[in-house]
Amino acid sequence: MNFFDIGFIIASVVCAVGIVRRLARWCGKPTSEVSVSSLSWHRRLFLALKIFFLEILLLGRTCRTGRIRWLAHCLVFFGFMGLLLFHAMDDTITARFFPAYESTLDPWQFLRNLFGGMTLIGLALMVYRRVRLRSLRSLTRFQDWAVLLVVGGIILSGFLLEASKIMSPAVFDVMVYDYFIPEDGSDITALKAVWAKKYGVVFPEEISDSDDVFENGLSLNEDSCVDCHSDTTSAFISRPLASALHPLAPALNRSRADEVFWYLHISLCLIALAALPFGKFFHPLTTPANLMARLGRRDAAKDDVPSPAIRGLGIDACTRCGECSLHCSVGPAFSVLGNSNILPSEKLISLKGFESEASLSGQALEAFAEGSRICTECLRCTDICPSGINLQDLWMASKKAVSKVAPDSNQAIRLMEISERAAPFGECSLPPISGLADNKESYLACVQCTTCTSVCPVVAVSEDPSRDLDLLPQQIMNLLRMGLKEQTLGARMVWSCTTCYKCQEHCPQNIRVADVLYELRNTVATRLREGECADERDG
Amino acid sequence: MIKDDTIYDVMVIGAGFAGMAAALFASAQGLKVVQTGATGGIDFSTGFIDLMGVHPMEEGKRWNSPWAAIDAAVKDYPKHPYALLKRDEIAEAIDTFTDFLAQNGLDYVGHSERNSRALTPAGTVKRTYRVPKTAWKGTLALESKAPTLFVDFHGLKGFSGKQLVETRKRNWPGLKTVRIQFPSGSGELYPEHMAWALADPAVREKLVAEILPHCDDVEYVGFPAILGLNDPQQVVAQLEELSGKHIFEIPTMPPSIAGPRLRAVFDRGLPVLGVRTLSQKMVTGVEKLGDGSFQFAVGSGAAASTVNAKSAILASGRFFGKGLRADRNSVSEAVFNLPVVQPGNRDEWHLHEFFDHKGHPVNMAGIEVDEQLRPLNAGQPVHDNLYAAGAILAHQDWMRMKCGAGLAIATAFKAVKAMKG
Repeated sequence: MNFFDIGFIIASVVCAVGIVRRLARWCGKPTSEVSVSSLSWHRRLFLALKIFFLEILLLGRTCRTGRIRWLAHCLVFFGFMGLLLFHAMDDTITARFFPAYESTLDPWQFLRNLFGGMTLIGLALMVYRRVRLRSLRSLTRFQDWAVLLVVGGIILSGFLLEASKIMSPAVFDVMVYDYFIPEDGSDITALKAVWAKKYGVVFPEEISDSDDVFENGLSLNEDSCVDCHSDTTSAFISRPLASALHPLAPALNRSRADEVFWYLHISLCLIALAALPFGKFFHPLTTPANLMARLGRRDAAKDDVPSPAIRGLGIDACTRCGECSLHCSVGPAFSVLGNSNILPSEKLISLKGFESEASLSGQALEAFAEGSRICTECLRCTDICPSGINLQDLWMASKKAVSKVAPDSNQAIRLMEISERAAPFGECSLPPISGLADNKESYLACVQCTTCTSVCPVVAVSEDPSRDLDLLPQQIMNLLRMGLKEQTLGARMVWSCTTCYKCQEHCPQNIRVADVLYELRNTVATRLREGECADERDG
Repeated sequence: MIKDDTIYDVMVIGAGFAGMAAALFASAQGLKVVQTGATGGIDFSTGFIDLMGVHPMEEGKRWNSPWAAIDAAVKDYPKHPYALLKRDEIAEAIDTFTDFLAQNGLDYVGHSERNSRALTPAGTVKRTYRVPKTAWKGTLALESKAPTLFVDFHGLKGFSGKQLVETRKRNWPGLKTVRIQFPSGSGELYPEHMAWALADPAVREKLVAEILPHCDDVEYVGFPAILGLNDPQQVVAQLEELSGKHIFEIPTMPPSIAGPRLRAVFDRGLPVLGVRTLSQKMVTGVEKLGDGSFQFAVGSGAAASTVNAKSAILASGRFFGKGLRADRNSVSEAVFNLPVVQPGNRDEWHLHEFFDHKGHPVNMAGIEVDEQLRPLNAGQPVHDNLYAAGAILAHQDWMRMKCGAGLAIATAFKAVKAMKG
């Protein structure tokens, strides 16, 4: 057993265990109500074929989100698949279909460079996009860079490996020893002359390049080498790379760089294999599977409620491209509150944590619950998702459970008794939000005419306003102008206001009634948040 | 800043009685009208249209003939705005105004020669020229002293059937009252919400069921003015059908829904006539352009805009309407900074007694105008194309004289007429 075999077995085991764990997690959920759309089998078949070609092979969904993104993905997808099938799995695939296959023969040598080049360009575009788009950059996590780094590392180390082999006299010596029987001492010199000039090997000694030596070398090369070796100029990336490294060649050759790069290349490949079931590495499998499972839908219709397993697949199909967050309707709330859980791509990670056995707690749970609450279920994330994830369904399915363990402050305050409501706001070390509510000028003109209350739709729908809302708008204004702000903070009127602004529009004295109510709510929210942080700090 | 390139014939500043009337009359003259103004006094209206009820103020003398009252007031106050108007102009103005209201489902009733006597929530009687149809039967009940039931509600503040009965029973013997639970909602009640609730015919049925046991020996049933917001006549008609009694409304304490009903009619009706209404927006500045037209800055914040108009009618009201502004030492006019006729110094603004029958001098302050209702400065019109109407005019105390709506409507009529030439 050599390095490769041992490494391959370990990586395969890690990969297999990881995949089984994932599958178990998807299927281990208790079954909930599931409804399946009633499509005929031939319609399903047609859709499946359409999705396979348009969305999986041609990445049609990705194209909806931007041409550059689509181009980058296509380059990486086709480039990497080409390398995987024809290069990495050459023994099992290429050699079987093309018996004359040799990795150093064209077209394979050329294709390897082409595929590698495509992948690198694609990866570069992806990195550019993540760095260039500020909003996307802020969403980019370790796993995003890790995937780019590992895949990029595989390709780069591959090119370095090929370049170092091109210039290596040691590799030349091994090949000569195995495949070449020199008739006299000058044959080796002649062959070296050809390989130095034509194939780019950098020999430590000076090689004579007189015409007759070279002629002799060419005919020897013709007899013994060309059947397995195309001109290295077709390795249009590795050969120029080798030329560029020419000044370093003696040092690289002495230190057997070809072997070093081989270990590096193989190690990275094995790491990628082992990492496959983890985080974003899994998306090349889960995303097509999810696209297939969704059969091309971009909505979250009631006739298509997925099973827990499909939901799990959906969660794992995220490629973290960030398009959902770039299209999120409540994205601006993120820029104000700074809670990344407001954005779908980040909330999805928390959802995964929330659904796991350990679940979430403390601030992480609060942040997730806030994100869950702020979501307006507008469907934009679901519609844009290039992986076809039914995000809407995931949000709707988790909302109830989240609000149960972490109710919003509105809800929490509404559920309190009157005495409880007053209490938490009584003492506060925070400086007051000095806005409208603390400013006498805000109410100087108030004549207590009750117009604000008369037009209020919240008061209108309440069966017994003073019982259900504690204080009515004009009463809150009256308390505030008497400097009794603390007494208004718990009033359910404050927490039931829909900010429709009718009161403010109708006020004959131009009092900013709705703005004041909104500010009161923000005051309490700030205090509660501060309080929780303090609790957490104090343990 | 939103820019409206239209050049309007007239900008009406104000959305109370005078502003609404001016916009109506001007658009009827074929003028291109734009109107601004936030909710002001009109939301506090009783819904009655007074012409002239009391003169002299210090005697509190009430008049059955508004025309005689106007003549008497003008004789004592030669600069009273009514002095600028002829009787047939006033009558035409009020009729045009109430015709418009009737077309929009809000009928008004009254006599041409005399005032009607209408009930107030305090149980007192006021003289007024036109009464909403839904209150009309109250004047008939009062006139005939027919047996009447006053209904009030648990939770509705400022309206007491008991007080009405106590105040009126001396010469109206067949009165009684009942306090009931409103069929939709409890606790604190507000007229507008009750009116909304009565949009539902089922709530009307429940209401009638509540009062019927108390109706045996009465002909009339008086309610606080809560019987429907947009369709009060239909609500009253249905209640009459269900109960077999004559039903009428009595205004509640301000803000009564009589005001919002009027405002709603104009909000619906004026745009149909082609009036551009910039509702809930105030004029924040004005500039006179080279060609003599005005450019107004309207609204604030993101909704701010500029509006160009060839002429303007200033109907911005008094202090509550924000047309007049009082600071420590003087009263000023808010939009054009026009000269304000006012007492010489602050000490003379108010008399010693808050309820002094003579009325406070500051309430006679305002804008002085020529016979074409153009504001004056040292006897000369400030602008050829600026007119003033309504409560902002000087030499009247509409609240005590009971001439608010009539004065507003009639001066608006006259201002439009003068502008048309």
